[in-house]
Amino acid sequence: MSDGLIIDQLKRNQILDLLKEGKRVDGREFDESRQLTIDLNVIPKAEGSARARLGDTEVVAGVKIQPERPFPDTGDKGMLICTAEILPIAHPSAETGPPTPDVVELARVTDRGIRESGMLDMKQLVLEKDKSVIGIFCDNAVTDHDGNLFDACSYASTAAINSCKIPKYEMQDDAPVKVEEQFTEPPVTTLPVSVTMAKIGEHIVVDPTIDEWSIMDARITITTNSDGNVVALQKGGHDGFTAEELIKCSEMSIKAGAKIREIIKQSK
Amino acid sequence: MSSERKRHVIPGEVITSGPYRAEQNTVQVGENIISTIVGLSDVHDGSVRVIPLTGGYVPKDDDLVIGKIISHSSLSWTADINSCYVGMLPASDVFGRDYSSSSDDMTAKLAKGDLIAARIVNFDKTRDPLITISGRELGKIDSGELVKISPNKVPRLIGKRGSMIQMIESSTNSQVTIGQNGLLVVSSDDPHGLLKAIQAIELIEEQAHVANLTDQVKEMLESKSE
Amino acid sequence: MGGRDTDIVLLDENGIRCDGRKVNETRKVTIKAGVLKNANGSAYIEFGDNKILVGVYGPRDVHPKHMSDTDTGILRCRYHMAPFSVGERKNPAPSRREVEISKVIKEALEPAVMLKEFPRTAVDVYMEVLQADGGTRCAALTGASVALADAGIPMRDLVAGCAAGKAADAVILDVNNEEDQAGQADLPIGYMPNLKKITLLQLDGILTPEEYKQCIEIGIDGCNQVYEIQKKALQDKFFANGEKQ
Repeated sequence: MSDGLIIDQLKRNQILDLLKEGKRVDGREFDESRQLTIDLNVIPKAEGSARARLGDTEVVAGVKIQPERPFPDTGDKGMLICTAEILPIAHPSAETGPPTPDVVELARVTDRGIRESGMLDMKQLVLEKDKSVIGIFCDNAVTDHDGNLFDACSYASTAAINSCKIPKYEMQDDAPVKVEEQFTEPPVTTLPVSVTMAKIGEHIVVDPTIDEWSIMDARITITTNSDGNVVALQKGGHDGFTAEELIKCSEMSIKAGAKIREIIKQSK
Repeated sequence: MSSERKRHVIPGEVITSGPYRAEQNTVQVGENIISTIVGLSDVHDGSVRVIPLTGGYVPKDDDLVIGKIISHSSLSWTADINSCYVGMLPASDVFGRDYSSSSDDMTAKLAKGDLIAARIVNFDKTRDPLITISGRELGKIDSGELVKISPNKVPRLIGKRGSMIQMIESSTNSQVTIGQNGLLVVSSDDPHGLLKAIQAIELIEEQAHVANLTDQVKEMLESKSE
Repeated sequence: MGGRDTDIVLLDENGIRCDGRKVNETRKVTIKAGVLKNANGSAYIEFGDNKILVGVYGPRDVHPKHMSDTDTGILRCRYHMAPFSVGERKNPAPSRREVEISKVIKEALEPAVMLKEFPRTAVDVYMEVLQADGGTRCAALTGASVALADAGIPMRDLVAGCAAGKAADAVILDVNNEEDQAGQADLPIGYMPNLKKITLLQLDGILTPEEYKQCIEIGIDGCNQVYEIQKKALQDKFFANGEKQ
């Protein structure tokens, strides 16, 4: 993603000097996310969709829903898969071709955050046990990259899945058949929201921009659910965190996440 | 149309079909002279050109540019000069003639991410442009803030005989090093003045095409609030 | 829309098509230039229900190096569909169809772009189809030439795209998804309106020589209409002289 980006020394020094004074380049508090806007149903042909704009980072998530044959060991549950890709329009450093390790990580962290939270009650998405279940695919396309793709994908996915319409299917002769013009609401149990924090020196800031991202020592993405419980974690970067820092991060995540969750709720 | 007036054109638009020379950003097709870029057509003295409103920076000999060091070999540094070509800064330009790759540490002088004010020494498109940092106003830049504008708007920022940039510098107590490549470094001891200068530059970037730009900038600079 | 109904009426007795258009009418086209922050040039186009985002990067360094040409800059194009852009989810990996479309669009743009001034560089055009509804290659081509102009890449002309075709035995302009599925022919055209040159042409289906001629004529007419919208998108971005509101 932002590997290979070289930030100019003046900007680097400016960021570091300001952090010492308790300030950030764009005037935000350390525990404050950039402004988030969510537009729903931007892809009317998809069963659910959302465009999330987090500062200047933009992601379009689209949900496709279709009947699937379940995996042998999970015949009593529907399927939910999230992916993410960085489109080459998003940044000069983005490349076409097979996904880089950064992009694979982005896709997997996005998927884990949604899935591990139990956002949807998967038991309600079974058409016929062991034969046919509802498959929900949420694909994220990053269209503009200004840092912290993890959170932008998290918000786009949660908003798209939360607002999707599930087509009705009936089993006829052992095969699912779509009932035209009939939809059900997704069985949403909670709204997972990730908050990514960058550690720069001894400072920890929420929702780093691409400049902050390029000079950070380590990062952590913490996903919380509507009850304020932690449901997924991902640490990255070449430095570590102390236990105290991690406690502080989880508190920051819960606080910042609650605001984000409100925005996603309001968008529907 | 024989008007001498400047006209808005886009690629493919016929500017004129008279007996003119097709110059910058135009091409002759049959009798017609066609624009190849979004810009303002300018017909005079028997020639036609288009002043571009978009597009990247193409290096020109003697241009002052701001560059960012992105890598180095044992003989030269490579600088991003906001162009389709990177600038080549020979090690000997910094260390002098008796530069030795074994005893001189290049990164001690210029490291990745360092900004430099440089001049284009030689460029002919077959090789990457050669740049130098020895000379007045040139060298490593240690303070200030980097601002990026469209290279096409640099002339507007400078103004007639430097009038626009001088107005900004004097009323905000700041210094602006202008690279022809659209990269600028703004510095000031007064943080408020620095902010104001950057805002003025951003205003010019956004409003470069309006007629009363100077008045707008003046008004902005004189206003008390941010 | 229910998808592949077999009993869809492509043309009614009054000569009205399934989406309410006349035979010689294009869908509604809107284009906005300069929509992406990071790209050197960009455009967002809605061509009927098609929604496509185009970003242009360059001229810039060529990677891998062996692709670079010491005499000229090179043009590279990628047409790509988002997994959620079509009825049934599409595998995100590029298909053979996408590879071919990328190539024909590149060859439709090459006659217009002038890259001799930038030897050893590349201009990358990325077309991302966010929603597809028939005629995506023409829509992508149309958006791409606006994005190239936005980036300031020198061009002899814009390239406008619009398909002609045949459905219910009638020659029609701008084939939509239903007409493409159930119709008789689809003939996408890319056209340089000032130089009057066709730079993209394909055909899927069967046409009599007379119908073929009609398709070309009506298709060029469609391209000229699309060109006016391209022009307006660039004028809106660059020449809206502070008189926006």
